[in-house]
Order: sequence, then C-alpha cells, then structure tokens
Amino acid sequence: MSETTTYTGFWQESPRPGILGWLLTTDHKRIGILYLGSLISMFIVGACLGLAIRLELIAPGRTIMDAQTYNATFTVHGVIMIFMFLIPSIPAAFGNLLLPIHIGARDVSFPKLNLLSWYCYIIGAVLAVASIFGGGGAPDTGWTFYVPFSTQTSTNVSLAAFAAFMLGFSSILTGINFVTTVHRLRCEGMTWGRLPLFIWTLYATAWIQVLATPMIGITLVLIILERTFGAGLFDAARGGDPILYQHLFWIYSHPAVYIMILPGMGVISEVIPTFARKPLFGYWAMALSSLAIAFAGSLVWAHHMYASGMSDLAILVFSFLTFIVAIPSAIKVFNWVSTLYKGSIELAPPMLYALAFIFNFAIGGLGGLALGAAASDIHLHDTYFVVGHFHYVMFGGGGFALFAAMHYWLPKFTGRMYNHKVAVIGWALLFVGFNITYMAMQAVGIQGMPRRYYDYVPEFTTLNQVSTVGSWVMALGLIIMFANLWRGMRSGRPIGLNPWGAATLEWSIPSPPPLENFGEEDPVVTRGPYEFKGVVADEY
Amino acid sequence: MNLPTNPTAQAVDNVLIYIFGFSLLLLLGITVATIYLVIKYRRSKYPEPTSETHGSLWLEALWTLLPTLIVLTMFWYGWSNYLGLRNVPEGAMEVQATARMWSWQFEYPDGRKTSKLFVPVGQPVKVTMTSVDVLHNFFVPAFRIKRDTLPGIETYVWFQATEPGSYDIFCAEYCGTGHSAMITSVEALPPEEYATWAQPQQPSDEPRGLIVLQEQGCTGCHSLDGSDGIGPSLYQLSGQQRKLMADGQTKELTIDADYLRRAIRHPEAEIVEGYDPVMPAYDSDTLSEEDLQAVIDYLLGKVKKAEKAPLDARKLLEDSGCLGCHSEDGSEVIGPTFKGLGNREVVIERDGKEEKIKIDRDYLVRAIKQPKADMVKGYPPIMPAGDYLTDEEIDAIVDHLLKQ
Repeated sequence: MSETTTYTGFWQESPRPGILGWLLTTDHKRIGILYLGSLISMFIVGACLGLAIRLELIAPGRTIMDAQTYNATFTVHGVIMIFMFLIPSIPAAFGNLLLPIHIGARDVSFPKLNLLSWYCYIIGAVLAVASIFGGGGAPDTGWTFYVPFSTQTSTNVSLAAFAAFMLGFSSILTGINFVTTVHRLRCEGMTWGRLPLFIWTLYATAWIQVLATPMIGITLVLIILERTFGAGLFDAARGGDPILYQHLFWIYSHPAVYIMILPGMGVISEVIPTFARKPLFGYWAMALSSLAIAFAGSLVWAHHMYASGMSDLAILVFSFLTFIVAIPSAIKVFNWVSTLYKGSIELAPPMLYALAFIFNFAIGGLGGLALGAAASDIHLHDTYFVVGHFHYVMFGGGGFALFAAMHYWLPKFTGRMYNHKVAVIGWALLFVGFNITYMAMQAVGIQGMPRRYYDYVPEFTTLNQVSTVGSWVMALGLIIMFANLWRGMRSGRPIGLNPWGAATLEWSIPSPPPLENFGEEDPVVTRGPYEFKGVVADEY
Repeated sequence: MNLPTNPTAQAVDNVLIYIFGFSLLLLLGITVATIYLVIKYRRSKYPEPTSETHGSLWLEALWTLLPTLIVLTMFWYGWSNYLGLRNVPEGAMEVQATARMWSWQFEYPDGRKTSKLFVPVGQPVKVTMTSVDVLHNFFVPAFRIKRDTLPGIETYVWFQATEPGSYDIFCAEYCGTGHSAMITSVEALPPEEYATWAQPQQPSDEPRGLIVLQEQGCTGCHSLDGSDGIGPSLYQLSGQQRKLMADGQTKELTIDADYLRRAIRHPEAEIVEGYDPVMPAYDSDTLSEEDLQAVIDYLLGKVKKAEKAPLDARKLLEDSGCLGCHSEDGSEVIGPTFKGLGNREVVIERDGKEEKIKIDRDYLVRAIKQPKADMVKGYPPIMPAGDYLTDEEIDAIVDHLLKQ
C-alpha cells in the first residue's frame, strides 16, 4: 500500500494479526477475498486446461497429448470450472463481500459457518487436485460421471466424486447463511421492495443451493458405493437402471446452472442502472423472475436426456417445462435494455462487461431454445453445439458477470482504481476472442461433431482451427484484464466513497469498508436502491 | 449434407430453421436496440437521464405473453416433429445393433453380421440397439438421428436413406479412450446392389479367425496392415518380439499362442509398451473357445481355410436362458419341462380354441420363434421370441430337445 494513505479498512482491522487474522477470520469481507483469491486461482488452472484442449483440437489426430490424457484434461477442466469456479464464483466471493453491506448488516448470520464453508471448499479443491496426481490417474469420466463408465474406469473417480461432495457442503453452508441473513439482518427501512436486485438473485440462488445440492451429494456417494461395493443400483442386469443415475445427477446439476447464472444476472442488474443513472426498469418483474427461474429451473432437469432412452412422455413434459423457464430469462433481457432508454449512459469498463453479458447471454439463451425443442435437440444433443451453448451461458454469462463485478466492486474493496484504457482493451480482446471461439464450436456442432472428441473427421478441421485461434485472443484478453486489475489493486489511484455515482449502501461507506462496515450507528434506509437523484460521483 | 427429402432430416431441419430463424430475429432486435440506446443516450449528450420511470405494467405484460406464445409454438413444433423420429413406418427393415468399446456390430434378420450398416436406399430401417459395456450413442448427422445405447436395455432409431452413399455414424455418448474413433458408417446401396449383397452367403472363403476379428470389432483399434491405432497392429505377429509392462515391470517376449490367448482373455495383465491399458477383456461368453482358437491360428498365420465347429445345443439352451423357466428333470418351473419332450402330447390354445397335438419338429421351431402363437394350456404367455437365435442354432436345439 502506498504511503499517501494510511487508511486500509478491513485489510488492516482484525482481531488477530497477520496470517491467522485471515485463516481464522469471521469477517464476511475477508472470507469473500479468500474465496475470490481461491476461485480465481482455480479459474486460471481451468483456463489453461481449456487452452490445452483447444490446442489439441487444432488439427485431427494427435497434436500435443494422447487420448487418455485428453479425456482426463476435459474432465478436470469441467470439474474445476463448474464445482470450483462457477458455482461458488459470484455468491461466495461477491455475495460474501456485499450481501451484509447491501442490506445494512455488519456480517452474515453465521460468521463461523461462513468460514467453515471456505474450508470445505479448500478441502474439496485439494482432494480434486490430489485425484489428478494420485494412484489410478486423473479421472476420465467427464464432469458428469455417467455410469456405467464411471463405475468401471480404473482412474481416481471415487476421490474426485468425494471432492465434489465436499464442495457441495461448502455451497449448502453458504446458501443457509444467505437465506437466514436476508430474512433476519436487514437494517431499518430495508424493506423487501428496497433490496438491491443482486440480493434478490443471491436469495433465490441460496434456496437452490440449500434444496438441490444434497441431491448431488447423495448421487456422488452412490457412485462411490457402486465402485467400492458393486451395489448394482445402476446396473440393468441386476435390477438397477443406468438412466436413473442421469436423473439423480441432473436433478441437482440443472438447477446448478441457475446457481451459476442467477447471481450474474444480479450483478448486471446493479451495473446497468448505475451507468444509465436510471432506476432499473420493472423492479418487481426482475425480482419475481429471479424467484421464478429458481423455481421453474428445478423442474427441467431431464431436458439433458432426450436421447438417453427415457420415455417419450417424459420428453413431452420436460420439453414443455423447459420452454416455460425461458420466459423469465427473456423478461430480464427486455428490462435491462429498457433501462437504457432515456438514461445517461457511460461506457465504463463494468458497463462494457454488462453489455457483453447481455449479448452473450442472449445467444446462449436463444441457442437453448433449439436444445429445448425435442426434434432439434436430437440432432444437437451431445455435439459441440452444446459445448458452445453452455460456454455462452456459463462463461459469456456467468464469467463475464464476474468480470463485471470485479471491475465494478474491486475498487470499492481495495480503495484503488485500475486503468480504464487498458481495461477496455482487455475487454475488447476477451469479447471478440470469446465469440470467435464459441461461435465456431456451435457451428461445428451443427455440422455434427460430437463433444468430448479427441479426434475428428477432416470436414471439421477449419472450424476447429478458427475456434483454437479464438481461444488465443481470449487468453490474451484475460491476461491483460487480470494484470490490469492486479496493478490497479496494488498501486492504482485512490478513490473516494462513490466513484461510479451508485445508490446502493456500499457506496456510502469508506473504500475499503471498515471491519464492521458501518460506524457506531446502524444505517437507516429511506429510499430504493436505484434512486440516483442527488447522488454525486466522486472524482478519482 | 442436406438431404431435402430425407424424412428424419427434414423433420429436424424444419424445427431447427424455425427456431434459429426466430432466435436470430430476436438477437438482432436486442443488439440493435442496445447499440442504438447506448449511442443515443450517451452521457456526453445527456448528462442527466430524461426519464425517471420505474417500469410499465403493460410492457411487462406484453413481453411476458408474447414470448410465451412464441416459445409454446416452438415447443409444439419440436414435439410433433420429434414423434416423426419415433414412429417407425410400416415395413421397416429390422437390424440389431450392438455397441461395445469401441465398435459396432450390426446383425441382419438372416443372421449375417457386419461392422458397417448396409441398407437399401428408399427402405425405412429400424435399428434396435443395446450395449455390452458402457453407454454409447448411435448418431448419424446426415439423418439427424441420435439415441443412446445402454447395457441391458433396448433402444431404437429409424431412418431412411434417400440417396446412395456412405454416411458417418459417430458415437455421441462419451465412452472412454476410443470414443472419437468409434466411427463406422451407413452404407446405403441402390436396391439392386443391396439385393446382390444380401444374397445368402456362399460359405465364406475368408478364414474364420479373420471373420471373428471383424465381427468382434477388434479391427476398430488394431489394424491388419501394420498402421498404428489405439492398439498395436495385428500385422504379421508370428515370432515378433514385444516389450510388455506387467505389474510395473518391463519384460520382453516372443509372440506365441499362449501370449495371444492371455492378451485377449486378460488384456489388462500385460500391456504392450507405448499403449494404454484400455482394451476390454473378452471372456468366454463373448468369444467362444473355438473362435478364440481360430483367431489365434489366423494371427499366427497357421490357418487359411474356414472350418465349422459343431453347435453345442445344451450350451445354447443354457446361454439363451431357456433353463431358467424350463427344467430338464421333470420339475415344474415357469414353463413346461423339457424332460420327455420327444414323445409328449400337449393341449395348446390356438386362436382361442383348445387343441391336442403331438410334439414334433415343426411345433418346436414355431414355439421358439413365435412362442405366443401356440401356448401350452395352463402356462402364462410370457416367453420372449427367440429371434436372437440363428436357424442353425434353432435346428440344433430342436434336435437336442426331441431326443429327451
């Protein structure tokens, strides 16, 4: 920290000094920073694996690794990105940093449980990494652990499944904490109608975390039982059913998609009003559609299984429900765009990420329609179209939302601003590279290239090459973005309370916020989160 | 790769075009509106917003109802065309497909087996599928059809080739190291050519060992011409030296019959250096002792001529599961006992009428092929049709039963 300022808020204030002050902290902001650091590290590992996959696919045949290594690479890429990056990303990092401040509280309801959740995460991450290097070799099942392959392969599937089990506990604990905190710790005047949209989405997400995550825990334990004792639950020859596994798996893992995207939608709902200086269009439609997504999203899991051999009646029902869940997402997009109307729009870096989010999420969401309809899904299912599609939603949506959050809120929590010009260059490379990479994947999927392919027929070469080149542009954008943020956090220009002129509570306290967020007096809220009249942006 | 008249491809493409068309319009609308608003209401021109609106109920209602209607049409169109992929037309040719790591076996009604799927152009084909190990998926991009194959559970697809040609079949359910190499093809032949192909086969000139190698899908990973694959090539094995990894140690040996037997029955025990331990074991249920010997003889270059092993009817009864319901010692299980079958008279139900008949060859053949046609009185009609047996196998079984 530079010598021009001595104030460093929660970075300095702690009941314990030094490293223990972090490892034993119960401060929601420190836990948020711990989470952010851990999951960005995991993201960098996962991204390198992703780049290796793309490099292998630049030409047919063997390029840099053999088939077994390739299978392990995409499996570990998926496990890391989903269980260790996307699921915890915004809720565990920015949710922890902001949820108490947003509702005028001094911490979450159960601060020790909060720390425990981070330790569950770390144990899960360590076990997952151990499964890569341990005895039987890195797991090679894909992140979905489909039986009977996962019960037969000799690789470290049990350990990886147990790692995901631990990560699930971390997620449940965070969910319990957030639901309770939103119900019990809102400050005076913070009515439900004045909750920032970010809190509504965290609240909806927390319910999914609490209700759906136990399913994956049970399912993964069943895999371990199957592998260890040959329980026969998924073996048709012994009265089991391999399709049953897929139901159990997706009953959690589809709602998990909404764990990954809903908080992102919340971030976008904060950023867009701030940089349009206008109230969010359709506040209640946005709040209720978040709950609707969480609810309806729990009822659509079998749309991953149209080609599985499941009954046609089930396909009819799940296809119908899938189209129902598309509607609240569409409502959100229309409301974001309408918020821009007659606003005063500033294209600051967080806003660029938010606008990119809308574009990427629209492509991902609309592509989902073709996957939700029964006939068209039969062709697209398990092809690279699906890989492109979920990267549009998860990375183009969830990932870009996290980057928007980092550009929007990191200055608040470090007290320093990054370089805007460099941020725009990083954003542009990332946005362009992203779309090249995944649009090419969607195209090659429509041509019929199945996913999880180590090798492919020559017709698919050109689009694979385009996609790989896109991944390099994207990587360059990521490097510039992370480097710029890091530099900004360390030695950027100090900022005042409110650099963006935003109206939520965190912008009325010092940057970085002090230990218990608010001074002696608890805050009293008298207006909505997006009423910008009289709010002045601080120069920086 | 567009085949405008192909029935399954057409059903899928219509839905794809409908949904992609709408999606593109919406995406364009959203993007153009966003860019327009961002430019028009930029802060340099409008330092303060010109509206403080919090929303509009009728707009919310509009963009809730309109998308609902649109997506419901997508849902219904997708569903109704999906039914076209499920309802197999009358008169479809029936083929049985078995998937394994990492090859396909197709069995035709006349019992012939191939690793590529040969079909006549213009005729609908129903492929009934199962797997012997893990999940696989039968995916023909050109026909837009796809279905998982599961161990122990049957699934099906149907298609109709409308142009002669070779169409890729990909495995679209991840199944391990050879997943992306599990490629074969639909070979659509003009009807006349197909008729020639499908004529009763002359006793094959090809050695039995080679036929087994192809039928079992060995050649999917092991080439016969010396080129490298997922596994080592089978070209001129006799007398070759191999470096093997066993229990973490390297050893060297000369290929002989004993080694080949071990390498097929227990491939995981010794791994040729430079290859992954991914080959599934072929136990005696999958690969009979006779066939194994034939393969070994062929690989070592000992045999050039086809030989036929006599069929073991007792083993067929056991392997086909008959003995689960029919006893050999006169005891009553689920179906009538086999004991004394050769000179028994039974009462059967035919078209609702009872009839007393003497058991003979014709009756037994029919009872195996269409068990529900003439049911023996007093037994439930639950026996599955024995269409997995070849005519020769049925003959052998009937001979055996009549001797009881």
